[in-house]
Amino acid sequence: MVFQSLTLFARSRGPDEFWRKRKIFKLAAHFVGRKRNCYSIAIRYVHRALRYATMSRKLKKADMLNLWNTRLTAACAEHDINLRTFKEALMRNNILIDRKTLVDLAIWEPRSFKSLTQLAIARGKQDGLNDVMYVKTPPGVITRGMLK
Amino acid sequence: MSSLRTCARAAIRIQKLTSVIYTGERGIKRWVAPTLRVINKRKAKLGPQPEPRRSNFLDWNYNAEIFAFNKRLSENFDVELLQQAFTHRSYVAQEEQKQREVGIENPELSIKDNTDLIVEGKCLTSEIVERYLRQALPRLPEEGILKLKDYLLSEEIVAKVSVQIGTKDIILSEDHPVRQETLVNTFFALVAALARSNDVVHTSFFVRDFLIATLSDKEILSIWTPSHPFQTLDAILNREKRGSADFRLTAQTGVNTILAAYQVAVYSDQQFLGIGTGETVQVAKNIAALDALQRMFGIADFSRPIPFNLTVDVSSQRTENLPLTKWCTENLKHTVGG
Amino acid sequence: MGNVSSKNFVPRSRKFVRRNQKSFFQHKHDRKYLTSIMSAVKRAQQWATFARTWHLFDATWQNPFDSAQVIIKHLMGLHKPIYHPMNDCGDHVVVMNSRDIALPGDEWRKRVYFHHTTYPGGASWTLAWELHNKNPTLVIKKAVYNGMDGNLQRRHTMQRLHVFPDDKIPEEILKNISNQIRYLRPVPTRLDHISPEEVENYPKIVDYPKQYILR
Repeated sequence: MVFQSLTLFARSRGPDEFWRKRKIFKLAAHFVGRKRNCYSIAIRYVHRALRYATMSRKLKKADMLNLWNTRLTAACAEHDINLRTFKEALMRNNILIDRKTLVDLAIWEPRSFKSLTQLAIARGKQDGLNDVMYVKTPPGVITRGMLK
Repeated sequence: MSSLRTCARAAIRIQKLTSVIYTGERGIKRWVAPTLRVINKRKAKLGPQPEPRRSNFLDWNYNAEIFAFNKRLSENFDVELLQQAFTHRSYVAQEEQKQREVGIENPELSIKDNTDLIVEGKCLTSEIVERYLRQALPRLPEEGILKLKDYLLSEEIVAKVSVQIGTKDIILSEDHPVRQETLVNTFFALVAALARSNDVVHTSFFVRDFLIATLSDKEILSIWTPSHPFQTLDAILNREKRGSADFRLTAQTGVNTILAAYQVAVYSDQQFLGIGTGETVQVAKNIAALDALQRMFGIADFSRPIPFNLTVDVSSQRTENLPLTKWCTENLKHTVGG
Repeated sequence: MGNVSSKNFVPRSRKFVRRNQKSFFQHKHDRKYLTSIMSAVKRAQQWATFARTWHLFDATWQNPFDSAQVIIKHLMGLHKPIYHPMNDCGDHVVVMNSRDIALPGDEWRKRVYFHHTTYPGGASWTLAWELHNKNPTLVIKKAVYNGMDGNLQRRHTMQRLHVFPDDKIPEEILKNISNQIRYLRPVPTRLDHISPEEVENYPKIVDYPKQYILR
């Protein structure tokens, strides 16, 4: 043990062991077996769990993005447009809705989502996007070209 | 080693005397854990204890609480009336009993209880709720309005509202912890006190904001459902002189499985009225009829939500909504006024 | 155990059940309004959302490996916006005419299915055409099975796939079907299925010379 000053040497008893261990046991409360009751084992598994938690914070974002993409692909397919074209047309229409919200709309407000896809198809046809070339122009969408 | 540490600590103490620098303690003292352990052991030995009364705590200041209650709700209660609204008969009786035990023959207390406030408030709340619901849901049949009123004035709902506006600790009553009934009565007493302090219109805002607003996330059909949707729908269509309800199977899948799904839509004169799904055709028809009714009554998912910014006029003449037996669009025009 | 008199002996499990039932009913009684009750219409909406649809897929002249991707999509519910890996929203798929599938290139001769009985020397390799002769549903079944991720759900998802070698589908299954999955490529007409007159009368670019011998 190295102490750089007299003060540090006097302080070196550290915090009460009980509270230090309790912090760890609290994190290990949901483990099974000796992992939750024996400190020397618990600490190893808590460290591992924390490491997983750190990694998973990033993974969760990727997982969610994956899920939203899967769901959006399905929702777009219901309205005869693919996801790439849909997103592209929405951007060109300056409709800035993120995937999470689009998925929520597709599940809970299918009619709102349908109108978004119709807007996208109309825009795609107007701009000559390949995917919607042979789709019928949805009725009820007024474009700038019509107003002339 | 430990003796060395003791010496070091003594040396630091001496330094501290001379310097003004204060170093705070890090960590939790070593006596805390064992002490807590003993305290917990003793608590466990005592068994479950009654919930402590907040008013028995040293820092309790009843007047401050009353003042804060008024301010917290941005209301303008008359303070005396407010205190009276919180004082139940049982509390007064208890106080008198205490005096008698001390030896006073005829105890005279200048505390007023809320018995008459409760009666008055109950009538007023019921009146306000009923009128408000009629105004907010003009297309809903009278049966539904009454059921919704019963729901809003049920003990569970009013007690919950009462707790949430913070009456629990201020109530002066014999029972502890406070019973649901007492909480409900206190709410009614508060309504009457507010009507006396201000006016009825202002009171209706109070009831609207705290009691009626709890309907905002509720599905009305889960509180009230017409008991015979088939007959009701047929009768309404008959009264409106439209063709009788025509149920058509629009989709079905997995009919030979336990997860069979049938979709039935109901039409009248080729006009779409409603749609329903179920595990059998009969269930689906039932749901379709219910759906048609909820669309007519303006309580479907996509209907306009209940407005919570209306003003009710309690002094005006009572006009009831149409009962189910008379409900039709033509009659509705007369009552709602076009 | 010999000392325990049968009179006082109460099975632990029954005691446990009785205690639990009591608390359950108390709970229900206490909270009449506060628990949100689902209305019949909401329940029906739920039923409609999670209804299992039965799809029909005609495998005539279809590539089983491309078809598998479409079938998997429907089996797992990937075609629904409510999809979630933990959400049991997959549909049923009935595949008919699996005898008439078309493998690309020389896959019939080159594709090999491996099996091992786990005994020493138990390995066997079966060519696709051999397997198809033994069981005409297996090629497409294996294509679907291998097209999915290997997880605990896979075998349950496979239960929703019904493959029939020809168009003789049992009546009770046929009644369940309510949708048809569109074929991936049009079925070509075979020359020997066209009537000789039609072939004879079809406009030709050149006429063979009289002396030309057709073999």
